[in-house]
Amino acid sequence: MINQIIQKSIEEASQVIGKTWPLHAFVTSNPLSGYEQKSFKEATKQAEKLLNAKVFPEAAIFSEALQKKYIDRKELIALLKENQLLDTPEEYLEQMALYKKNAKINNHNVLDNITAKWLAAFMDEGLAEWEMPNRQEGFYKAWRKLAIYDNEIPKTTIADIPKTSNEALEIVLKDYEEEDYIKIFTFHLAALPGWTGYINYRISSESKWQEEYPISLNDYLAVRLWIAKKIKASIFPKNEGITTPSSISKIQYIWLKAWEKSWQNELKLLLEGQQTALQDSDDETTNSLEAQMVFCIDTRSELIRRHIENKGQYETFGYAGFFGIAMDYEDMNNGLTKKSCPPIVNSAYHVSEKPKANHSEKVIKYKQHKETLKFKDYFLKRMKNMLPSAFGYVEGSGLFYGISLTARTLLPSQLYKVNKEQTTTHETLCEPEIKKTCSTDHLDLDIPLAEKVSIVKSAFDLMGWQKFAPIVLFVGHGSHSANNPFGSSLDCGACAASPGRHNARMLAKLANLKEVREALKDHHHFNIPDNTIFIGSEHNTTTDEIVLFDSEVPASHKNELQNLKIDLKKAQETATQERLGIANNSVKFAHKKANNWGETRPEWGLAKNAGFIVGPRSLTQNHNLGGRCFLHSYNWESDKTGKALEGIMQGAMVVTQWINNHYYFSTVDNNVFGGGTKITHNITGKFGVVQGNGGDIKMGLPLQSLMQSDSEMHHQPLRLSVVIHAPLDRVINILERNEKIKSLLDNEWIYLMIMDPLTDNTIYTYSKNMNWKTANKKASKKEATKSIIVESEVEVTM
Amino acid sequence: MISKHTQFETTLNIITKIQWLLFIGMLSYLLINYPNIPEWHYGNVLRINGFTLLIWTVVTFFSALISSYGKNYLKGFKYHSKFIALSLGFTLSIMVFVMANHIGGLIVFWMLMGFFMSKLIGINASWGEAKEALKYTLKYFLTGSLFLSIGLILLAFYTKEITLNGIISKVNEIPYYITLISGLCIITAAIIQSAIYPFHRWLLSAMTAPTPASALMHAGFVNGSGILLTLLSPILFASNTLIILFIIGGLTAVIAQFTKLLQVNVKQKLACSTIAQMGFMIMQCGLGFFNAAVVHLILHGFYKAYLFLSSGENIAHSKPQNQSNITIKPLQIIVVLLYSAVGTFLFGYLTGKGIHLNSGLFLTLIVAITVGQVTYNIVKEPSLSVFQKTVLPPVLFISGMVAYALMYNGVTTLMSDMPLVAVPLSVSPIEITFGIIFLIGFFIMKLGIYRNHPWIYAKLLNISQPNKKTVLMYKS
Repeated sequence: MINQIIQKSIEEASQVIGKTWPLHAFVTSNPLSGYEQKSFKEATKQAEKLLNAKVFPEAAIFSEALQKKYIDRKELIALLKENQLLDTPEEYLEQMALYKKNAKINNHNVLDNITAKWLAAFMDEGLAEWEMPNRQEGFYKAWRKLAIYDNEIPKTTIADIPKTSNEALEIVLKDYEEEDYIKIFTFHLAALPGWTGYINYRISSESKWQEEYPISLNDYLAVRLWIAKKIKASIFPKNEGITTPSSISKIQYIWLKAWEKSWQNELKLLLEGQQTALQDSDDETTNSLEAQMVFCIDTRSELIRRHIENKGQYETFGYAGFFGIAMDYEDMNNGLTKKSCPPIVNSAYHVSEKPKANHSEKVIKYKQHKETLKFKDYFLKRMKNMLPSAFGYVEGSGLFYGISLTARTLLPSQLYKVNKEQTTTHETLCEPEIKKTCSTDHLDLDIPLAEKVSIVKSAFDLMGWQKFAPIVLFVGHGSHSANNPFGSSLDCGACAASPGRHNARMLAKLANLKEVREALKDHHHFNIPDNTIFIGSEHNTTTDEIVLFDSEVPASHKNELQNLKIDLKKAQETATQERLGIANNSVKFAHKKANNWGETRPEWGLAKNAGFIVGPRSLTQNHNLGGRCFLHSYNWESDKTGKALEGIMQGAMVVTQWINNHYYFSTVDNNVFGGGTKITHNITGKFGVVQGNGGDIKMGLPLQSLMQSDSEMHHQPLRLSVVIHAPLDRVINILERNEKIKSLLDNEWIYLMIMDPLTDNTIYTYSKNMNWKTANKKASKKEATKSIIVESEVEVTM
Repeated sequence: MISKHTQFETTLNIITKIQWLLFIGMLSYLLINYPNIPEWHYGNVLRINGFTLLIWTVVTFFSALISSYGKNYLKGFKYHSKFIALSLGFTLSIMVFVMANHIGGLIVFWMLMGFFMSKLIGINASWGEAKEALKYTLKYFLTGSLFLSIGLILLAFYTKEITLNGIISKVNEIPYYITLISGLCIITAAIIQSAIYPFHRWLLSAMTAPTPASALMHAGFVNGSGILLTLLSPILFASNTLIILFIIGGLTAVIAQFTKLLQVNVKQKLACSTIAQMGFMIMQCGLGFFNAAVVHLILHGFYKAYLFLSSGENIAHSKPQNQSNITIKPLQIIVVLLYSAVGTFLFGYLTGKGIHLNSGLFLTLIVAITVGQVTYNIVKEPSLSVFQKTVLPPVLFISGMVAYALMYNGVTTLMSDMPLVAVPLSVSPIEITFGIIFLIGFFIMKLGIYRNHPWIYAKLLNISQPNKKTVLMYKS
């Protein structure tokens, strides 16, 4: 029966480990997601102890924030005072700076090294030509067969090592009390959090590698504890973790809150200033619209939307970048299937490519070309690996490598252009085709019309769509960067770190279907004019170019499309000028950033994210939000039942919270929660990176995605502030139905503010247990001009 | 703050430009004066000849390249300026080292190369493991320098000469055991630097260096032994120690190539590949082809620098693949043999290597098999057309050979005024034995026999582990 206790303890201990995503599908998730049912303060305290991590910004970062006025001094002093801290901010800064967490010697250095060695060998995904023997038997058994040759542990025979991982665990643990199991397991799981997180990922994603070469946390613990016993490392170390004294962490928390509050005040001020625009928006006619475009809620969309809007009669929307299609996408270039919707959503559909009419031959040619390229890779690998061709190959090709070296270093933007002109993409030859996932019979060709209609309808519902322009673009987004292990972290988060183009193309195809349009017209209230055409496209976030997959657009739209493209080009120019801060040749500079193999900051991804605004565009239009906000279109008037809003809060809001928490923790302790600096990264197993010579794989974003330099910040580590433009009652109803969302709020993982159109757009701020605070509007406006904020609170208790 | 940034960037741009100008200047000088490069002396202390200029050109190329690459790559790095200073220090050390004629200069600058390199390895002073790696690698480099000092000082003492030229001119007048001891010391110094087994572990523990520093290390530091052995080749001939180089180099080349196959970290994989390539270079020295070794060290530098600088490209979504064994058809065998013969003949014609019955045959054999492997892989690929299968192999091996021959002949001419750098040896039984071992290694690999012996896997995995103190030694 002992086994069940072990099993239970492992399950409980594993709650604390997060998930390490592979870098080819890098999902920015909350590293402390296992703690989300606890309060932010409690969770961070536990994680701090377990991982020896920093969980709040360092004093230097706070100091920078205060200096740059990101933290409103008055707000800070007020908050300090509220907590009976009456000294000046500078004194508290000093106190925080005095407390330094120093690196300490790792007592488990040898054990960690040996475990990491075997984990890396076992979990390799094709980097090594010669794979670890007996992998198909699973981690424990494969290790057992090799451990007898491992001279890093005392000599042992195969008979010494138990046959199964569970036996091994029983043997090692028999000297310990059952109630200590959880602590023992927690300690050893947290010793290599990157690797155990990756085991976690493999198990939950059921990847092909896991299918073929299974590994479990039991296997890991058995191997590790058995080695620990053998080399006499301590199995149950006591009092390992050190936590920051509560007097310091209290100050840190207050500073963080003050910083967040300052940002919220800024945001509120901006939103309240838009009152007039909100009222005007009703009068605006949509008849003269040239085109409408739907962008991802991604913070990077804000900039490009603003620049497109001011180029002509264009309306833009924000929508989760997987365009509401819960799908996996099969890449015809490598035959691999990848998730292309939020990780919290189960994929219901499988989308693949089929040749367009009259393009079959071209597709065959295209595929042949891809085969040849694949062969080229295989051929070069063979040449480099084999004896003695490795030597002959180096001598024969060395000069060409020299030429390549020079070209890639000195002419990246020129090469970018050449490459782009030379490569053909399959999007011009193929169209996406949607099927059910795991339909056992392969005859199942098409999904029912009702489902197609529902996908399209819910898009228009969620965004509160009213009228249709002749051209509607669904704009997914993807990034282009060279030599960047973290490339996928810059792609679409809503598509599980894939580029969003295929979802956009799919939705466009569905929306163009005649039968879908008819159904929308007959059974729902969406009347799409005949001359409206939907086009899938993609926003390249590194260069701000927008590529249209328009090869099927009828001649009737050619002129309009041409004009649109010209405007998009202009928008690219001005957007890159603003984003990169240069006046001339900004596009060329963006190309250089995209293709320079020595560039560690090709673009900033979602850095600086701090807000999520759910509401009509008129709420934020004409304002520069500095790329800090996720924007989801929502029209409270057309969403009578609140279903659409509930969907947004369950889906998009949770995704943005993940992203935001990931950015927060990666910034406050880049080495533990993030990826550390890119400049010493060493790729392992084709899916992860380690620092320097090896060790644990990294679980988060690298320093270069978060910091301006080693010491100067770019991302401001703040928890997400969500603003919803909807009646307060409606939101309260939703929260009552969704305990999980409410607990995120109660536990302070995110902030929620409601801008209620029914009460003159008053902003209500959520506080624990469904309390809502609001600043007396007239009073606060006056005070803002005097820069004194004394909140007169009106409590609305539900 | 901002002005400080831009000021730093301007300085950086200027330094980088100067380095490129230096490189272009030297390359043009070499090309204009080729093949008669005037020799220049500064007393007994310094000497500049074709070889010196060749190495200078190569070194300035790499240092300019690294500087350009690092400009973006290291932006915002706390120790960026330290990086520039150390790289420049390193570059200058090699440059002075190759022009040194005084043995003091040779020793001091050899040591400085190691010093600067270990400083680059541990450049991040706020990172515990990097500091451990600095200490660890510096130990190796200092040991190497110590051996070099013993070897050279011993010779200086017995020949009563303090310059390299002087020592070489009298090396045959001193007792054999002295030349032998100093020959062995020099070899030890060389193989430490080249991370040849059993001194390989420092290179596998040196990834705490930023990627561009690793590129510099693999393109310009580990191969320093090739330069050292070339400069000191007469001593190696006199001490009769070439065979040692041949055996150590050959063994390392084969073992490291196998070790490379099981590496799961990209930089370790590249390091094992470097060790194998260095083994091959040392083996070329052991065969008397110091000129070929110099060509190899340059070409390998390009190759390995490229792979390091692009090492971020190794992330990929993949699925498990089964090893498929493809059988070869008789007609294909004929094509493989035919092209190998043509390739071998062409290689002999272009480089003059391997047409006579001497140790050069060994190198020719490698070329022949490589051409065979090129052809084999192409003709058995189903996705290629018959035309492609016929044309592709010769296009590839001819362009490779022409490029190589261009370098080889150029370098050989530049080195023509140096003593004993291209002296093919007669083929001895030991070399034949080794040739056979090499072939066996090739077949073991080709047939995948090694996969059936898990203990080899475990042993090779263990010998390629980095020093433990340089991994997970500290908790954040």
